Amino acid sequence: MICLNREQLFRYAHHLLNPQEVAAVRAHLGGCSRCREAVINYQRLDAVLDAWKPAEPSAGFDTRVRQAVRAQPAGRAGWSFGDLRWARTLALVSLGALVIAGVVWLARSQRPGLNPSALATKQPSVKVPAPISPEVAKLKPATVARPQVKNSGKLEPMSSSVSEDEDAGALDDDDLLANFDILSELPKRDARVSD
Amino acid sequence: MAMESDLDLMQRIRSGDAASFETLLRRYRVPLVSYCCRMVRDPALAEDLAQEVFLRVYKARERYQPEARFTTWLYRIATNLALNAIRDRRDEVSKSASEDPEGGPAFEQFIDARPTAEQQLIQVDKERLIRQAVASLPENQRVAVILHKYQEVDYRQIAKILRVSESAVKSLLFRAYEALRERLEPLLREGQI
Repeated sequence: MICLNREQLFRYAHHLLNPQEVAAVRAHLGGCSRCREAVINYQRLDAVLDAWKPAEPSAGFDTRVRQAVRAQPAGRAGWSFGDLRWARTLALVSLGALVIAGVVWLARSQRPGLNPSALATKQPSVKVPAPISPEVAKLKPATVARPQVKNSGKLEPMSSSVSEDEDAGALDDDDLLANFDILSELPKRDARVSD
Repeated sequence: MAMESDLDLMQRIRSGDAASFETLLRRYRVPLVSYCCRMVRDPALAEDLAQEVFLRVYKARERYQPEARFTTWLYRIATNLALNAIRDRRDEVSKSASEDPEGGPAFEQFIDARPTAEQQLIQVDKERLIRQAVASLPENQRVAVILHKYQEVDYRQIAKILRVSESAVKSLLFRAYEALRERLEPLLREGQI
């Protein structure tokens, strides 16, 4: 009879085989004294190893563990990277919003002149004096460069040759201030100026 | 009353129940100290390691995910700590093994006091031989033998603790027992008489 390999016998002795394998080994052991002896030797070794007794914790062990646990800051267990994920996300979103706000502010502050499209969108907030009728124009020529109103209702961009300083100077013009009352008294139905 | 599962206890510990941690401590204090002691062969260090395991369990109470059995996680922490401690003290441990101070005062507290003085001496000698034989095994084999033989951990669980396959654990155990059989030959012969 051919003996089983030692690993198979070891696994049998230590209950590491599945039920089919156990049945096969058991059938073999019934007729093989050498394999039976090998299994008995493994069981004997197991019994020898039992002589190594388990260690008991010392009297102060539990107290030391309790003290160590009590020394932990309250709620500290929750402060892991995983639990801080929401805070990191909030910080990133805030940072992103700040960067976008900064870029928008910079773009606005560095704009060289008025943008036609920006003017178009801001049209309702721009106070345009009532158009001057030819009669009034004869009385007092306009001295201020300002957007011209066309039939379409859109504002034409101001001439690029007019700087902001010049514009500011025009606003201080006494003539314009002097004509203000006359302009506001004009009838509203003549608001449109023909080409 | 049915025993509360480890998972139930961990969930209660998470919600701040100190009594559940106390239950867990009582349940695993002996297995953990015993395991650590067999691993590092130093009772004082073993208690420090076991204390650290409990502390880590407590600290991780809110992160704990029951992906495997609680004891798998527990023994994995203990194994890692013990192996690190062994590596840190490798020179010292090898020196201790050659000088064999294991039968010294530190280990006397683990000896069963009931047998007679002669039996006690025999027991001390047996234990010394076994400790030396197990300590001489490679790390993975040593962990597998201690968990399988002394902590009664299933080989499937050992595979998860060591992060190896189940068949690898069976092979580790076989090689370890073959080595132990050779090294403990005197004790085996003695037992046959």
